[in-house]
Amino acid sequence: MNTDPPRFEAVTNFDGSEATVVLTGSVESAAAFALSATLDAAIDRHPTSMTLDLAKLDFMGAAGLIAVTNAENRLASLGVMLKVQSPSALVNGVVGILELAEKARIDRASPEHGHLGPEQMDELSVSTRRFASSLSTKDLRRVTGMPTDPDVVDGALRLIVELARISMDAADGVSVSLMRHGVLSTVAASDRTIMAMDANQYATGEGPCVDASVEGHWFHTESLDTETRWPSFTPRARSLGIRAILSSPLTAIDKPVGALNIYSRTAETFEIKDQKAAAVFAEKASVILSDARAGVSDAQMATRFQEALRSREVVSLAKGIIMERDGVDAVEAFSTLLHLSLVEGVPLLRRATAVVHSALRSEIEPGSG
Amino acid sequence: MERPLDVLDVYCREAGLSYGELWLRYFELGGMCAGFELEAFLRGVLAPSEYDHDIIALAINERLVELGGHHAVPYLHDA
Repeated sequence: MNTDPPRFEAVTNFDGSEATVVLTGSVESAAAFALSATLDAAIDRHPTSMTLDLAKLDFMGAAGLIAVTNAENRLASLGVMLKVQSPSALVNGVVGILELAEKARIDRASPEHGHLGPEQMDELSVSTRRFASSLSTKDLRRVTGMPTDPDVVDGALRLIVELARISMDAADGVSVSLMRHGVLSTVAASDRTIMAMDANQYATGEGPCVDASVEGHWFHTESLDTETRWPSFTPRARSLGIRAILSSPLTAIDKPVGALNIYSRTAETFEIKDQKAAAVFAEKASVILSDARAGVSDAQMATRFQEALRSREVVSLAKGIIMERDGVDAVEAFSTLLHLSLVEGVPLLRRATAVVHSALRSEIEPGSG
Repeated sequence: MERPLDVLDVYCREAGLSYGELWLRYFELGGMCAGFELEAFLRGVLAPSEYDHDIIALAINERLVELGGHHAVPYLHDA
């Protein structure tokens, strides 16, 4: 088995004020930081154009994609568009990460849907076999280590919207709605019609997207021609040519915070496989949101951390008591606590609390412990 | 080497824990490693000590129990 760290290299070439960054190898999480730094350094020189050459890239994980998205945003604010050469490698990597390649109906992808041509299809399946087993959703979870800047999260959600759109037959449009500061808004949408579909739901306060976001389970309307649940929203949707909607809830740390919405111009088009695919995409998005702790305020995070500190204090104290009592080291003391917790079927923290209390009692009433 | 590390990651996912939340739980139970080290353990890049492995296993298992499951992740140290 090859245990060498994956090879990665990013080389920047300036031709006048035109920058080209050539990436070689695999962008794993550590390499993503190097990639970020390289892209930032290039952008700091205010290029008039910037090209990212991915032709020699084997794989890019979510952290790398986020680095690229950030660079894209930074360049956009300078009025420069990031050009990506040979995007198929990028698309392959993303699809690999999401473990959806098997399910993705890539065969329908034609030039109008992006840059995947028939010759890339084989590459795709090869890269999938190569990466899907070992990299999979772990890579999305690497987002944990990234700053929880809303822009970063939005970039990742836009990727998911794009992937859902190209990989689901029935999807004519996809969007992600998120509750931020108590208000639902669209974070990513595949086009203006879809944007308007979401906006109509916010305006009328009803629709599958609103219900999924609030109630935390999925809503499917097979045909808006016969739909009765949302009387104000339905005619607006029909006037935009939409006939079927599938909204899956997004959650952050088990709380509903938004919805992934799949829209179709054809009634009765969503099948079980589409519902499953939508659920998978929604789950990926939820992992990103949980990691970014969307919907959880800083105050709540601070409380959670204080709680963790207090618990840790109790566990340390209990370990100290056992070390003193049994003449063992910290590792053995933990093992004793773990044993007691498993035997009694109580969480370790509760068992540790009992150890501390009993030591305190014997301190107060010598001989009773 | 067999692949006990993959087990951690599989169960971590099953428990619906993000790496961030898992780290908090690991820290609560006395774990001393930084978040990125924990992540490296789960991704199989670094091998945790038996002690760290068992704290991570416990952190995941306690979440599984909260969800109505049982201690599915095996412990290395004879507990």
